[in-house]
Amino acid sequence: MTSKSEWEKLDLQIDPDSEERLFFTAHQWATIEAAAARIVPTDHDPGAREARAIVFIDRYLSGIDYVYATADGSGFLRLAGAEAHAARARNAVMKELYRDGIVELDGIAVRHGAADFVSADESTQDAVLAELSGSPKPSRVRLDEHEVFYSRLQGNTDQGKPFFETLCFHVRQGFYSDPVYGGNKNRIGWKVIGFPGPDSLADTMNGTYTTAPYFADEWDWNELLLHYKPSA
Amino acid sequence: MIKRLDAVDVIIVGLGAGGGPAAKVLSEAGYSVVGFDKGPWLRNREHYSGDELKFQNRSYLWPDVDLMPRTVRSDEHSEARIFNFSPVPSAVGGGTTHMAGWTPRPRPSDFIMQTLHGDIDGASLADWPYRYEHLEPYLTKVEWSYGISGLDGAEPGAGFRSRPYPSAPLGPTKFGLKFYEGCRTLGINAMPLPMSHLTERNALGREAVNRTSFWNQYGDPTETRSTVATTYIPEALATGNFEVRADSFVREVTVGSDGKATGVIYVNPDGSEEEQRARVVILALGAIESARLMLMSKSSLFPDGIANDSGLVGKNATFHEYLFAVGLFDKEVTGALNGFTGNYQSGGSMHFYETDESRGHIGGGIIATTQIGQPINPILPGKPIWGDAAKDADRDFFNHSMKIGMILQDLPQETNRVDLDPTVKDRWGMPVARITNKPHANDTAMSKWQIDKNVEILEAAGAVRTMPVYLGEEFTGNACHQHGTVRMGTDPAKSVLNEWAQAHSVENLFVLDGSGFATALGVNPTLTIMAHSWRAADYIASTYLKGRSERLVLEPMTVSS
Repeated sequence: MTSKSEWEKLDLQIDPDSEERLFFTAHQWATIEAAAARIVPTDHDPGAREARAIVFIDRYLSGIDYVYATADGSGFLRLAGAEAHAARARNAVMKELYRDGIVELDGIAVRHGAADFVSADESTQDAVLAELSGSPKPSRVRLDEHEVFYSRLQGNTDQGKPFFETLCFHVRQGFYSDPVYGGNKNRIGWKVIGFPGPDSLADTMNGTYTTAPYFADEWDWNELLLHYKPSA
Repeated sequence: MIKRLDAVDVIIVGLGAGGGPAAKVLSEAGYSVVGFDKGPWLRNREHYSGDELKFQNRSYLWPDVDLMPRTVRSDEHSEARIFNFSPVPSAVGGGTTHMAGWTPRPRPSDFIMQTLHGDIDGASLADWPYRYEHLEPYLTKVEWSYGISGLDGAEPGAGFRSRPYPSAPLGPTKFGLKFYEGCRTLGINAMPLPMSHLTERNALGREAVNRTSFWNQYGDPTETRSTVATTYIPEALATGNFEVRADSFVREVTVGSDGKATGVIYVNPDGSEEEQRARVVILALGAIESARLMLMSKSSLFPDGIANDSGLVGKNATFHEYLFAVGLFDKEVTGALNGFTGNYQSGGSMHFYETDESRGHIGGGIIATTQIGQPINPILPGKPIWGDAAKDADRDFFNHSMKIGMILQDLPQETNRVDLDPTVKDRWGMPVARITNKPHANDTAMSKWQIDKNVEILEAAGAVRTMPVYLGEEFTGNACHQHGTVRMGTDPAKSVLNEWAQAHSVENLFVLDGSGFATALGVNPTLTIMAHSWRAADYIASTYLKGRSERLVLEPMTVSS
């Protein structure tokens, strides 16, 4: 077997402006691009459409060549052995989820009086997504509400979720992940929320990238701590 | 026909926090040591970087749940489901490769919970067969060799320490300052928590920790986080007495007719089986996998698994749980808190560590303020997932929220356990670990009390809205901490291991991870696991392998109440 420590590099790079489709049909591409634009809408800031979340999702669904970038972002890893087998099986499930999900989106859109999801107007698209989600469209988080929660596993894979949740999660990833994966074009997503991310993955490896300026400038432990008694 | 390899002195299965120190100590003492890990040997500078998608969402380091699943259920009568319970990286270095690096010391009270509290209904409290003072020299050895930073004199109530920290801590983040402010307002003593990295002012001559803030659950490409793969493993290799066999899955510990372990059978990277013999077998796979391997190692002498004559292997499991409260701040009022910064945690407290029965529970745990996270996965509970509301929430709170977490010290219960799943198999065709667990009433009470306290701190720090995240009906294993499944004690009827983490019934079998912990500690276990392993490895090197044995006699302890 080829150990994960020896996976080869595939000389692949993703052009976020590409219109080439590796997985989706033209209709599927247009549908997911439109849905993504309602999930992270464009307002006074760019949204999922400008970030090219569609390219991110299409490349991910295309197979197992775009699962892991190399550490420095110069290419992608060629999965091998049991890991490749498992990733291929997951990819097949994911493809099916999207194919069926897009049919469902169109089906709901027809019931809302549109020809299909893409040609529906934005408010109808929102209504279709709300119906698919099983809940009303979310309203703005308010500071005067109270809700309690229970713990869950940190970290978050895309396995085992229904289509709507999967789609929202992938659009989010396409908006915020490192641009090497095809979305977050020109670091648009990071700029929208004020995340000063690295210019490249390589910059996170060699000391170029640092968040040190975002730490506190000055502090005095004697002032911060109630019981600080340093030994002489 | 299984190929049999020449015998060595010592086999170590699992090269994480438990296996690393043992490899160093035993190879430096001149013994030949072979270390196995089922995961690959990833190299920091080659394989790791600040790629949130890869590390947080696509499980590059965490076990592939389809290849190495676990199952979980809440009691004997419910159906177990596949779940990535308590995921720890499957790689040389184990949990130390991804952990944020909290390395606080345990307190003396952690070792005597039964003496302090007596028998608690539904729990199986027990004292450890050694005490804080027996571990202290090894805590110091680890702090000074592994590389740990901390602030001396900031923790009233701490146990004796023989040497200060070798490094000053990192300065606070902006949300760290808010945490200190909230604690001070409420009269709570806070402190920078000890961490497994060094800063500019360190006595070890090593490079200061990086500040990329891609930290918890990421591998570190700069090697400035202290990990087993960058300290003890290379030090062991430098002796010439140590060999790493990565991508090698140990499926059985074999037993001879004399009742001693003879070695292990493992699947090598090419998929064929080999037998490695040794004088001593050390298990350090983590408390879930060590118990699983013991249960898989059935023989005519041990039909229920090696050293399991008491039937206790797998039982009394404790997992901690990471619980927290999040505070949202009004960005019109409060400056940016930059919750993506920091090397995960930035200020904590052990103010609530010791028992105060007026709180309605016994025990306590460490608390700390920690990163909200990077853009894909910020921890904002209940955040809308689509539409304008979702986008607004990211814009409003990504830089204007903070989180204060706790390590829940769960009480041991015999019914919380690891056994072999009857149907689910892993990539090697072996039965996977099945986890059965349900919180004790004390766990639920501690979660409620402490998280409500964390809410108070957030409010004192200026949070406008708070979101408590309590312990639910089951543990999720989200702390990635595991202990207790191969309990240490003095009585072979009530424990599996003795005070050297040596099996009562198989004298050359040692379990040097959290498996032996009789109770869970209220702090993160890694520092204690490393010191515990070092202490036992010292015993193996200087006493057991010299053909001698020794017992630790504890002075009776009286506790004034």
